[in-house]
Amino acid sequence: MKLGYTIIYVADVPNTVAFYESAFGLKCKFVHESNLYAEMETGDTVLAFAGNDAAEMNGLAILPNHPESPAAGWEICFVTDDVSAAFKLSIAKGCTPVSKPSEKPWGQTVSYVRDLNGCIVEISSPVASASLG
Amino acid sequence: MPDGRCDIILRYNTYGSGSPIPVITGPATQPYTVGYDAGDSWLGMRLRPGKGVTLWQQRITSAANTVLRGEDALELLPWLAELKGRYSTLNILAAALEAKTTGHFTDHRLSLALDILHTSGGRIRIEKLATYVGCTSRHLNRIFRSNTGLSAKTYAQLLQFHRTLKLIQHEHLSIADAAFEGGYADHAHLSRAFQCFGGFTPSSVPRDLSLPTLFS
Repeated sequence: MKLGYTIIYVADVPNTVAFYESAFGLKCKFVHESNLYAEMETGDTVLAFAGNDAAEMNGLAILPNHPESPAAGWEICFVTDDVSAAFKLSIAKGCTPVSKPSEKPWGQTVSYVRDLNGCIVEISSPVASASLG
Repeated sequence: MPDGRCDIILRYNTYGSGSPIPVITGPATQPYTVGYDAGDSWLGMRLRPGKGVTLWQQRITSAANTVLRGEDALELLPWLAELKGRYSTLNILAAALEAKTTGHFTDHRLSLALDILHTSGGRIRIEKLATYVGCTSRHLNRIFRSNTGLSAKTYAQLLQFHRTLKLIQHEHLSIADAAFEGGYADHAHLSRAFQCFGGFTPSSVPRDLSLPTLFS
């Protein structure tokens, strides 16, 4: 078994896809004609968005993400060599800041924003392989 | 800065004589200033939020923003007098406190509610919190008041204030961004909370403020 998909339930799938394209520079792989499901080009592990309605159709009960509610207890982490630029771009494109880029004792630069749906997105530098021992 | 916790403190003066003066504080919800003289020193413990009742017992419900000093503190905790000045180190004080409070059982619903409140930065509604821990909000409030001395809502507001203050002071967020992430409806809401709990406006946070670390 391997991790295949991370699927975030959102209020508006096309809007979220457009947001992730502009704020994080991702590319859209496809959007289902129902507008209730979309996948992004993220390699082997697919980042996908599904409509909150799809959760109900699948028999799931969820607490919908909302920008004015506390974030759900998980996050997405994007890794980049230029955290500062990526952080600034995300804010310029509509993310709200939580934690500005700061260097951690293990040498990683880490920042946090919340996306249009209130989900936590971490933007950080790669962990230096030496620090992994 | 008020953090809703109870303390037990021993106050010494290097130049003074006699036993240290015991001080017991109730959960604070307002900022306060502690005066001191040359040679003063303190040692003490800050209790976890649900443990305030072990100091104050039934009086916890009216202990908010109350400080007992000297004889008043000894009246509340007569066992402090039994130590007869031997309580000169934290270890001795901690051991004595532990011995006197053994058997105190924190309601698991309170522990769970405190964990959820801390994790959510005080942003969760009390009605929802009550459903998570499996009781009514009225009952949850009763558990909060009888253990922490504060209502669940007041405790949540303190957490929300401290997290938002940290976003401004440590993360250098703008006041508007911090208000949003902290869960305040608008600038006026944030300002009221800062004035109430901190005694300052969001734009005039004292530079030398040292923030307490809050763990449940």
